[in-house]
Amino acid sequence: MLVWIAFSDRVADALADGRARGVLHLGMGAAFAALSAAILLALIRSGERAAIGLAAEIRSAVDAMADGVLVVDEAGRVVEANRAAAELLGVPSKDDLLRSLDDWAIRFVLRAIDGAPVPSHRFAPRSRAGERATRYDGILRRADGRDVFVAVAASPVERPEGPQLTVNILRDVSAARRLDELREEFISVAAHEFKTPLAVVKAYAQLMQRREPSEAQPLAVIQRQVDRLSRLVQHLLDVSRLRQGASEGRRDRFDLSALAAEIVERMRPTTPAHELRVEAPAPAPVLADRDRIACVLTSLLDNAVRFSPAGGPIQARIDVANGEALVSVGDRGLGIPRERQERIFERYYRAHAGTPEDYGGLGLGLDTSREIVQGHGGRMWFESEPGEGSTFHFSLPLDERIA
Amino acid sequence: MTAGAPILVVDDDLDLLSVMEIVLSDAGYAVRTATDGRSALACVAREMPALVLLDMRMPGMNGWEFAREFRARHGRAAPIVVVTAAEDARRRAEEIGADAWLAKPFDLDDMLAVVARFRAGEPAMEPPAAG
Repeated sequence: MLVWIAFSDRVADALADGRARGVLHLGMGAAFAALSAAILLALIRSGERAAIGLAAEIRSAVDAMADGVLVVDEAGRVVEANRAAAELLGVPSKDDLLRSLDDWAIRFVLRAIDGAPVPSHRFAPRSRAGERATRYDGILRRADGRDVFVAVAASPVERPEGPQLTVNILRDVSAARRLDELREEFISVAAHEFKTPLAVVKAYAQLMQRREPSEAQPLAVIQRQVDRLSRLVQHLLDVSRLRQGASEGRRDRFDLSALAAEIVERMRPTTPAHELRVEAPAPAPVLADRDRIACVLTSLLDNAVRFSPAGGPIQARIDVANGEALVSVGDRGLGIPRERQERIFERYYRAHAGTPEDYGGLGLGLDTSREIVQGHGGRMWFESEPGEGSTFHFSLPLDERIA
Repeated sequence: MTAGAPILVVDDDLDLLSVMEIVLSDAGYAVRTATDGRSALACVAREMPALVLLDMRMPGMNGWEFAREFRARHGRAAPIVVVTAAEDARRRAEEIGADAWLAKPFDLDDMLAVVARFRAGEPAMEPPAAG
């Protein structure tokens, strides 16, 4: 029990810390990108107005920035860089950076987190009117051979005339990334430490069931409670992984249908009373954070299980329509009382709390799930009929690029 | 795979090891046990098993290292079934070229089903990949 409490505390700390850090990170990133774009725009305009004194001041402001700045023109030439960029890339002076990206790529290699090379034109995305910053994480191999993890935000500079420019903000996120790796290691140790004893208890309960059929009922209770504890542990691990700060906004290309099938497989043995089915007529390729989407699916399935205490069918369905992947998870359980339906997306709100149908759970699922889905440009909604069950839906934009 | 070849169970948790041994023995299989990769390799050197049920996270030589060594020395002489508490059991299994996986906590019936399938000479990834 003590261990459990200590673990919960660590997870809670990790959650609070990760969340705060994630928000701070994003907020600061966005602020820096906006500020730099404004400064650089002013810089460019100021030249036209011959406000040389101001230009020099802005230039030193950009130079003093803690994040690396690279301004790239349409032809892929770096037209402006700051000191932090030179330090990040491991070259003695920022003037060493003022060259064509193609030439530059010989000395620095930027790779996506999964190892795929990032083409240098990512630094100069063709900007369309009204397009906002594109962000990605990468691993940068410096001139000296050292690898640094960088978060890049590339924003088009809006100019009435002249060559199109893109301002790239490069932030060294190696420290945060290392923290993530430690956290990942902690989660994987925790998974092992919790699940091993659960596996032992479950196996012995089943062994006794084989040998003492007369004790089937109490042994079934033990197993059911072990299954419940397994799901809770899984949920805690998922949520703690979910709150990792630095990997916020990471994108993997994967098949949502295959992911749903995998999660249902994983869940099926923990809840024999329910008939878990997946219907996915076609692959649904998406570009999204795989771990987070896995959490959303797991939460929805877990809710369906918990609110169908009598067992019965639980159906996950993945459809593809109008450039979207549509996921639904339906149960024939208790349904949500009508007067409580509008509050279910509130954090920590539990629609069944204090009622005879209070089946526990952490009350951390739906708001977080919806946040994640919205963060991917999707929507989440539900329909529910008290006494007949609930169906939760979410959508994600399809990844329509051809691999 | 000879009919009488034993099943090698590798896990550092003695309680789990022993319940797996009991259930497999009850089902009529010859069983050998080892508590880490090193002693499992020694076991294999004495007698090639029909199947290896392999835990991943163990002190000393872990499951990854065992699988690598085993494949290097013996190729695909015996199928390996990964038995792991890791959340991404399938990926772990694919990483080391295992033939199947069981996620802890598992049902004894599922364990027996996997073992029976391999003993019957039907190699297949469990469960079959979707799509």
